Amino acid sequence: MNALITTQKLTKRFNGLTAVNRVDFGVHEGQTSGIIGPNGSGKTTLFNLLSGYFPPSDGAITFQGRDITRIPPHDRVKLGVGRTFQLVSVFTSLTAWENLVLTNVRFQRAEIAPPRFFFRTAQRAEILDDCAHALDWVGLTDKASANVAELSYGDKRMLEIAVVLSLKPRLLLLDEPLAGLSDHEIAQVVALIQRIKTERTVVIIEHKISKIVDLVERLVVMNEGRLICEGAPEDVLRDPQVRECYWGKEDQVAANL
Amino acid sequence: MNTPADIRGLSIRPAPRWKIFGQLALIAVGILLLATNIKLHWLTDFIIFFILVLSFDLLYGYMGHLSFGHMLYYGAGAYVTGLFLVNVGKNPIAALFAGLAVAAILSAVLGLIVMRTHGASFALINMAFNEIGFFIIRSPLAKFTRGDDGLSCSSAKLFGIIDLSDDVSAFLFVGVMLLLVFAFLQVLTTSPFGILVRSIKENEKRVAFFGYDTFRSKWIVFVVSSTLAALAGSIFTLVRGFLSPQVISPFGNVEVIFAVLIGGAGNLYGALIGGAIFMLIKNFLPVMIPELSKVVGVKLPQWEMWLGIILLIIVFAMRKGVVGVIRSQWHYRLRAARSAP
Ligand SMILES: Nc1ncnc2c1ncn2[C@@H]1O[C@H](COP(=O)(O)OP(=O)(O)O)[C@@H](O)[C@H]1O
Ligand SMILES: [Mg+2]
Repeated sequence: MNALITTQKLTKRFNGLTAVNRVDFGVHEGQTSGIIGPNGSGKTTLFNLLSGYFPPSDGAITFQGRDITRIPPHDRVKLGVGRTFQLVSVFTSLTAWENLVLTNVRFQRAEIAPPRFFFRTAQRAEILDDCAHALDWVGLTDKASANVAELSYGDKRMLEIAVVLSLKPRLLLLDEPLAGLSDHEIAQVVALIQRIKTERTVVIIEHKISKIVDLVERLVVMNEGRLICEGAPEDVLRDPQVRECYWGKEDQVAANL
Repeated sequence: MNTPADIRGLSIRPAPRWKIFGQLALIAVGILLLATNIKLHWLTDFIIFFILVLSFDLLYGYMGHLSFGHMLYYGAGAYVTGLFLVNVGKNPIAALFAGLAVAAILSAVLGLIVMRTHGASFALINMAFNEIGFFIIRSPLAKFTRGDDGLSCSSAKLFGIIDLSDDVSAFLFVGVMLLLVFAFLQVLTTSPFGILVRSIKENEKRVAFFGYDTFRSKWIVFVVSSTLAALAGSIFTLVRGFLSPQVISPFGNVEVIFAVLIGGAGNLYGALIGGAIFMLIKNFLPVMIPELSKVVGVKLPQWEMWLGIILLIIVFAMRKGVVGVIRSQWHYRLRAARSAP
């Protein structure tokens, strides 16, 4: 199997605090991985580094054999790195379909062919059609013209996933996609991820391990900025280092399972 | 794949382009209504101001970048056109394009610097460049611009037949220009690029994760907005034939900001309505106040004071300007009508 993305001794320091510490992380093409770890262990920071939100203090990132350590986020999107945010990040001053217009693949290309991008109305039949497909995928068709500010948190999460999917990423990074959702919504998003992972390489950060154990083929555990363990979910959860050093108390393990 | 059924499910209609002609007709009617009550000579000034406000609304209302130095480009357009008329040739079209070209180049270069800043720094660095421009026009270039004495710069007839110093011709000329600018901005702001610009306003950093180079887009908006401001300035020169450094003074920017806020930022109609209200206040209150003072027998405060009060009302009671109020009323009625049995 080919490594899609790898990091070499990736490090991020915030004035004295090392949020990500010499991490060698990698994902194979087609694999679905989960990243778990206590709050503040550096999971989101790792995603921020992979997606280019900020540059690392040290180390390197390789995507499909190419060094992407210093390239800006919009170029990483073009190479195929897509992400969602821990706190849902869609544009609340726009409508649902307007959010999708921006990531519509036809217009990603049209940015290079300006007249279409600058001077045709966004309400063209072909754009609406693309948006309809994307919304249909996440079951939001009837909310296309709703202002995003008025959508429920779960709908916003669905929309965010629809948006990032229309970028056709090779690597999809989902930062706590289930956080803040109701049980019903969690079931919907999990079903959605089940469908996505058959086509794309997915990495999921998640707090509630039980929700993703069945979703992922591999679990990676972070603690205090380091990768402390990785492997098949069953093995990782049985690992004494994970159970004792990282959670400490057995009851907390139970609570998270 | 492309079944119309998909689109119908969306509850959004594809927008027909001819709608824009309806909008232009509406504006034309509005302007003609004003023309029945206001001297054409004044109304021409109003319309030039509308164009300036529209250009500012693209930068501030749509993209959320508040500049205190927009008059630099208005003034550059005005002065380049004026200097062209005096020193190169009397052709108004050539003089207009000279003004646009120089302002476009100037904003393209300065945009590389100012567009790397945000918030207060963006506002102030623009003001700094504007102050420099103001100074250059008044002192180092005074030999050409005549400094504070002002520059007379008449032009030849437009297309050899239209005399722009005639009030009616000038009014029609600026009116057509306004409609062209409005149509251009209407198309630009409803395109995918327009949506991109609005998303930059909301959260610039996140736009990058949609795959767009925000710097490039911001720079384009800055150049377009500045060049449209220069268009307003050039037109001013052509119809007035006289320039003073006043046109490039950074103080003028405040009026533009007021107009955008009164109408409602990020809405082209808001820019027009706000521009009209501001110009009415500015031109009629000074005349009305002494009269009113006589009637009520008390000396009423100057018009600037009333403008201040109106702005306070807008800031506290109508956050989205006049257009925002009209819109929410409209939605309210619509909802009430729907829920009625
Ligand atoms: N932009 C930032 N500036 C300063 N400190 C940060 C920043 N982002 C994260 N941190 C710190 O880095 C550590 C790791 O945070 P984070 O990656 O968000 O953890 P996780 O996602 O695993 O909960 C935390 O201590 C957090 O406070
Ligand atoms: Mg996190």
